[in-house]
Amino acid sequence: MENFALPTEDLYSPEIATITRVETLTESEKRFEIRMPGEKALNHKPGQFVEVSIFGFGEAPISICSSPTRGPLFELTVRATGRLTDKMHLLSEGSQIGIRGPFGNGFDPGAFKGKDILFVCGGIGLAPLKSLIDYTLDRREDFGRIIILYGTRNPSEILFPEEIKTWQSRKDVEFAITVDQASEEWQGNVGVITTLIPGLELDVKNTIVTVVGPPVMYKFVLMSLKGKRIPDENIYLSLERRMKCGVGKCGHCQINDTYVCQDGPVYHYPRVKQLEEAI
Amino acid sequence: MSKPRIAFFDFTSCEGCQLNKLNLENDLLSLLELVDIVEFREAMDDTADTYDVAFIEGSISTPTCVKRIYDIRRRAKVLVSLGSCAVLGGVNAMKNLHPADWVQEAVYGEDKYLFPSMPVQPVSAYVKVDYEIRGCPMSTPEFLHVLKSIVLGRKPEIFDHAVCVECKLHENECVLDKGMFCLGPVSRAGCEAVCPENGQYCTGCRGLVSNANIAGAVGMLKRHGFSEQEARKKLQMYSSLNKLINEAECRHA
Amino acid sequence: MNALEEKLNRFVKYRISEEDVRLLIDHLKQKAPVYAPHNSGEASFSYELVEKSTDVVLQYPRTMQPIKKFFLPPKEVLLNFNIKDNTYSKPEVPEETRIFFGIHSYEMASLKRLDYSFTQGHRESNYISRRKYAIFVGISYEPDESHFSKSVGIDVEETEGFDLFLLKNDTGYFLLEITETGKKLLDGYKENLVPDREELKLEPLRFKSKIKYHHNRLPSVFDHVYKSKVWEKYAEICVGCGTCNLLCSTCYCFDIRDEVELDAEHGSRTRYWDGCMLNTFAEVAGGENFRGSLARRTRHRLYRKFRYITAKSEMLHCVGCGRCSHYCPVGISMTDIVNDLIADHEEKQKREKI
Repeated sequence: MENFALPTEDLYSPEIATITRVETLTESEKRFEIRMPGEKALNHKPGQFVEVSIFGFGEAPISICSSPTRGPLFELTVRATGRLTDKMHLLSEGSQIGIRGPFGNGFDPGAFKGKDILFVCGGIGLAPLKSLIDYTLDRREDFGRIIILYGTRNPSEILFPEEIKTWQSRKDVEFAITVDQASEEWQGNVGVITTLIPGLELDVKNTIVTVVGPPVMYKFVLMSLKGKRIPDENIYLSLERRMKCGVGKCGHCQINDTYVCQDGPVYHYPRVKQLEEAI
Repeated sequence: MSKPRIAFFDFTSCEGCQLNKLNLENDLLSLLELVDIVEFREAMDDTADTYDVAFIEGSISTPTCVKRIYDIRRRAKVLVSLGSCAVLGGVNAMKNLHPADWVQEAVYGEDKYLFPSMPVQPVSAYVKVDYEIRGCPMSTPEFLHVLKSIVLGRKPEIFDHAVCVECKLHENECVLDKGMFCLGPVSRAGCEAVCPENGQYCTGCRGLVSNANIAGAVGMLKRHGFSEQEARKKLQMYSSLNKLINEAECRHA
Repeated sequence: MNALEEKLNRFVKYRISEEDVRLLIDHLKQKAPVYAPHNSGEASFSYELVEKSTDVVLQYPRTMQPIKKFFLPPKEVLLNFNIKDNTYSKPEVPEETRIFFGIHSYEMASLKRLDYSFTQGHRESNYISRRKYAIFVGISYEPDESHFSKSVGIDVEETEGFDLFLLKNDTGYFLLEITETGKKLLDGYKENLVPDREELKLEPLRFKSKIKYHHNRLPSVFDHVYKSKVWEKYAEICVGCGTCNLLCSTCYCFDIRDEVELDAEHGSRTRYWDGCMLNTFAEVAGGENFRGSLARRTRHRLYRKFRYITAKSEMLHCVGCGRCSHYCPVGISMTDIVNDLIADHEEKQKREKI
């Protein structure tokens, strides 16, 4: 029988954190820097998420876009698409928000040591991957090539222009960007993100691929990767669902037998292949 | 934050939704702390030029209605349709199922030429509607929820699940099991299942859930001893503009 | 003597009349609040706090809401907050002794499943606080046309989890002492109560609803029926009302919503029972719905009962209470779906052999 005397957890009470910086990235995306009470470190892993809470507006799962290697403050990139995120966009430096988490498995960068890493980022999928990109850049000597592919719908939706400049200028980072629809000033690649994949020269056995993007993107990216003969077991995806509780109870994020908030959001591709409802 | 200026307008309807608001009693005073009511024919004479929130009751059924609703939309920051007539066309829209001339004559007799009329449409058929409060009459808790949400600047929670959910949360005995008719299994919740809770059946006054399995609903009612004709007729009472009600073929029961 | 009879015969038991059962309720009421089945409506039953022991219904098919309502309430305030100063308080969940009386074996089994769900991974304080000091007095029942608990391995006389158990006999009941707690509860109950030494023999119970396969084989059936046509067959009839989820004794999915008061300052964060059969359950932020069709939702519901958590917990998460079948407005029966899946699976196997 269950031992009810063991310690229990108060699962739904957020910690009240402070917004220390707000940066407008695009028309619909802002980046927030957050300080936990007592400037406590969040102790997150790249790829994990938090439940952000604003009283009266509910909660929403938001992936952490900063690397744990960069000090106790952390960053969230938020697209205004719902009750909570719309409200969050109205908040400014000094505002308080509730935080629960970090939740989810996140990436295990230790397992990628010595490997080349290919990041395939679609749209706001760059946010969770930036956490891992920054992590690998901060421990640059631990990894082989770092290749970042980034696709957005149009140039006005490009996130993190400052970071992108840095990535473009670094000799030890290979960066390519494409937009679905170009503007008049745009001189770069035009086309969906999969157009960037065939031209890559990869040591397929030694390359880890991490893919994050909108639901429709996965199938096409996976097809392209297959075309490059990347073994399935080298591919990791992060899946999006509506994680309401973050602690494996409420059922909203369930994909077949897995809870995204517990076993994900990062999944090894061979596992995703067993999940009919995943992509 | 300054108090939002809100206004109420009535179109083709019984005005029952508006009267329902006057029944808020204690809450009415708290509500007046929250908002300024600048136009409300049922309760005051004043009028205004612009509104933060315009609540529209009733369906659109005459050329005058069309002119008025365009005008109100231009002057309102947020427009909310209120009650079944405004959201769905409601009971009024049943007239669309009959020849227009016959309806005109039945209602106005030989004076029918004095009253131009058009097929009934919900408000959303003409102007952008920001939020919808369903029900016949609208539910006051839901009205307050929407109003509070607008004051706070958040999207209201509008449910798209069946009345059964609310009955089950309240542990109400199922009215179908008592031998009564009920549309609760396919009708939108948000009313706290007030009818079944008080021994009445659900008439579907809030419209059907989206992607409703209409053929399944007809089969369900037949299983409980009602004729297919009665099932479709009652489904149409509030949702007559839903073409699927007549089309969905029932292959079961 | 079969294994079950053998087990029951090891408990100390007393022969008591129905009148004595009511006295027992009165006795228990002095120790802690007692909750038991009551009539509610024309032909429904619900667990309520006992005011008069004569109000308690001893023989009933099932209550509408399952016993989970006491541990995972249909509506539960998680936090009370103040928007203006960003503060909140968590309502205290009382850790009190409550006696649940006249409970069927499948209900006890359902709590064992919920215990698993709320203690695996994160141990939820709200659930555990309510559950911690609960005491259970079981009672045997006559299966109706919807019960099928025997098919999922739960006998009517299964005493696991109970502290005391009432087994109906010709003249009244056998009162069985299952645990030390149960034994202590009887202190001072009846002066002249003497243990009954007669050997128990159980009447074979007839379940009208049955699953064709032994329950041990069910998870493996579910390994092969994911793409079955059976899902579509039931989706045509199903109206997606969610009754089966909400009344399921082992479903525990929930939604969390904030509501504010008219002062636009105070409010609460509340959780409500939710269900995977409902339209918007699996929608994500962009509006995409990963289980948009009723066939997919029905499949998910059944896989949750027979495969997904079963593999992890080694317990079927259907306990055969029959609520989903009994209260389904379109008359879909759980055993029909499972038997259709079995038939479909068998047919597929036959075809593969040829």
